[in-house]
Amino acid sequence: MKRPSDGELLAAWRDEPAPLLPLLHAFHQCDGHLSEKTLRAISADLGIPIADLFGTVTFYHHFARTPGGREKPRVCVGPICALRGAQEIVDRLDGATTMPCPGRCDQPVPVLDGDTILCGDTPATLTNVDSPLPPESPDEIEECVFAQIRTPGRAGLAGYRETGGYEGLARALTGSPQDLLESIDASGLAGRGGAGFPTGRKWRAVAEAEGEPKTIVCNADEGEPGCFKDRTLMDYDPHAVIEGMLAAGFATGATRGFIYLRYEYPETQNILERAIEEARAEGLLGSEAFGPGRPFDLWVRRGAGAYICGEETSLLNSLEGKHPFPRNRPPFPVTHGYENLPTVVNNVETLASIPHILSKGPDWYRNLAIGDHAGTKVISLSGDIRRPGNYEVPLGFPLQVLLQDWAGGALGDRDIQAVTMAGLSGGFLAKDDLDVTLDEPSIRAKESFLGAGGIMVFDDSRDMVEVAHAAMEFFAEESCGKCFPCRIGTHRLTERLSGGGPSDLGDWVDEVTDLGQTMKQTSACGLGQAAPLITESLLRYFPDQVAARVENR
Amino acid sequence: MDRNQYDYEITLDGERVPVTRGETIYEVSERHRKSIPTLCYDPRLEPLGACRLCIVEIEGARNPVASCTTVAQPGMKVTTKSARLEMHRRVLMEMVGSENRDLDVDPLSGYASDEMATLLDRYDARTKRFAGSRSGTSRPDDDNPFILRDYENCISCYRCVRVCAEQEGDYAISMMNRGFETQITTEFEGLLKDSACTFCGQCIQTCPTGALADVKALANKDVPGETEKTRTVCPYCGVGCSVDVMTRDDKVVGILPAMDGPANKGALCVKGQFAFDFVSHPERLAAPLVRGDDGELHETDWDTALDRAATGFAQAAENHGRQSVYGIASGRAPHEAAYMMQRFIRGGFGTNQIDNCSRA
Repeated sequence: MKRPSDGELLAAWRDEPAPLLPLLHAFHQCDGHLSEKTLRAISADLGIPIADLFGTVTFYHHFARTPGGREKPRVCVGPICALRGAQEIVDRLDGATTMPCPGRCDQPVPVLDGDTILCGDTPATLTNVDSPLPPESPDEIEECVFAQIRTPGRAGLAGYRETGGYEGLARALTGSPQDLLESIDASGLAGRGGAGFPTGRKWRAVAEAEGEPKTIVCNADEGEPGCFKDRTLMDYDPHAVIEGMLAAGFATGATRGFIYLRYEYPETQNILERAIEEARAEGLLGSEAFGPGRPFDLWVRRGAGAYICGEETSLLNSLEGKHPFPRNRPPFPVTHGYENLPTVVNNVETLASIPHILSKGPDWYRNLAIGDHAGTKVISLSGDIRRPGNYEVPLGFPLQVLLQDWAGGALGDRDIQAVTMAGLSGGFLAKDDLDVTLDEPSIRAKESFLGAGGIMVFDDSRDMVEVAHAAMEFFAEESCGKCFPCRIGTHRLTERLSGGGPSDLGDWVDEVTDLGQTMKQTSACGLGQAAPLITESLLRYFPDQVAARVENR
Repeated sequence: MDRNQYDYEITLDGERVPVTRGETIYEVSERHRKSIPTLCYDPRLEPLGACRLCIVEIEGARNPVASCTTVAQPGMKVTTKSARLEMHRRVLMEMVGSENRDLDVDPLSGYASDEMATLLDRYDARTKRFAGSRSGTSRPDDDNPFILRDYENCISCYRCVRVCAEQEGDYAISMMNRGFETQITTEFEGLLKDSACTFCGQCIQTCPTGALADVKALANKDVPGETEKTRTVCPYCGVGCSVDVMTRDDKVVGILPAMDGPANKGALCVKGQFAFDFVSHPERLAAPLVRGDDGELHETDWDTALDRAATGFAQAAENHGRQSVYGIASGRAPHEAAYMMQRFIRGGFGTNQIDNCSRA
């Protein structure tokens, strides 16, 4: 096929919402890289200073700037894959480079090959495989977002409707936005991307904020290592996400939405685009989504490889075509979000819960949890565990039951030495602290947090200093560079975990502790605040491994 | 301070102080001489909140907040100095000190170039803790005659990038890569002369470490003597930018923009900032020359030269009328000379045909 001209590519995107990322992707796809000529053409066309555009392009991991760069295979060397022979694949695969965790910890080792993800543990066994469906809930505990996900055909509009899809929304549209807000409030639903902010309150703040148009952003940048739940939800239940976004639009008065999808989910993009087309064709999206003269439409925007873009204000800057540094808060996105206008930013899982709440009622959702908590949480479980995968558990569920009974415990005759929390951001839990329940109060009491619900398991054969090193290396690589404590601290901690730092153990521990304290309390966003939980928990649970490593350098 | 002009009060280190709506905690604290440390702040720029040194404690907040980006809200109880804050500031200074090649630079580097060193001393942070690899790659290949690009001394405060965009509107530089690999760059990592840079020098003057430095001034770093500063107005054009001319024993060694200059507030252009070396240039005329019958210029004394000029001017006016005379004063001459020149043309010949090459 003939390559469209630069002018045609520019014309195709310049008047679309949030045009920079799709325009860069269009050129990247056509040419296999982003040339100087391309960037100069985009700079002139969109009115972005060329130095800014150049700097911003270099921020993203996946934009190649030399010919053929886009097609070179990229191999995950994340914490799980590193233990599954990732480095050997890098070494043996022609032209391969490394990439941070692309959210396939349940199918190690993933290799991004153009627009396809291949998985396997040797170069010979690499094949394209669909996302695994979640294992059945063994105790017949009621699920929310996974309740219908295993029904074949659920990803298509017809299948979605057959399983009750869009019925809740239709009912909500016959009532008032106020009724809908009250229902979401009553459900107790809180942000499932990690921050846990009450969804009803967020929506209400946007509904009451001044300024139009308002925007609903679905944060599908699932970049946390060890988290792969949003991928499964979008792959098998894309209409649930769309229905959730429509409900958010109706409740807040928003007229447009974006799904900001991570670069590493190319297949998911196709699934989402197809679902949006189906919804548009049936008038669920478009100029009369909420009735005559009441539009709502939405677009998928693909990221380009930057963990920080999962931070909501970085995400908004990225969507707007700006350098993806996090913004200073307050003001928050609910009043100053996309294009400085009121914006809801919700995680995929949060939005996918909405249709179920709409059809079964807020009390049903609230009561899914154990005790005083509300609702469920999807846990992405991976690593040294017999049955890795996504499990939807009631909040308040015991971690050990999930690990041992549901997921079958450690591999072979090993024991579980430690697990991570919140993907990597919550650091490690080990020993008696594994007796927590899966909810924030319980896990925060152990100086960690549940976050987005990624749990990586490491058995007693693993070198925890090395695991901590790989984790900190990830944070250092993904630190955006805006604030000093994170930019310098993640790098200094990585050096110390790989043989650097003072030779005296006491001095070494002092430096690591001081760096961590200051990062935790003074970093500008969650990345720098959370990264030292790795070293803090390493020193708490595994002082002997640390001492052995530092003293035997 | 008239309390009626303020909108509400906050409590600052135990004292109730008035605040104007929209003021940041840093701004309020500055008014009350709290001397909060910072490295990424420049009062002319939008606050960024990068260095985190300006953290303060707010009652009810778990973590300290950056005072430069936090707007003072009614009733806030703010603490600008505590053992915890000072501990974090010291650790942050030790961290910053660990990433640079030099902690001290020549004071001729630029207006703010001693800021990091001053804070290292204030926080007793020259401890060599947190040692490791250094950030930034210098650009010795950029041989422009004005701006040194010594990024091994860069701390990624982005003041240069922000001043270029927000004050000068050039957008010539930006940041590339991320994290510890962050690097200040031009488009495609090129030379400044191939970028949108106008060599105004404002990046140099806001840099808190001397990573960006004044090549012209640094050429005089070995000139002996104490540096004296003389406030004057740049003669190169009609804007009227205030400058502080730096001299050592009557030799001009560099120009600093006046941050309080009413017309420029710290801004200058390439001429005002860098074009001062003609003053003591070896090829500058030190004695008058007159053209002899042989057509060549010959050195002479002032009386002879002035007589010759006076005769010529008088003859021209007599033969061709007063409008035959036109004076152009030089932008490189002192203001006093320019004034004398216009008096000479207007008063001496009765014509308004007087101009200055700097009229802009």
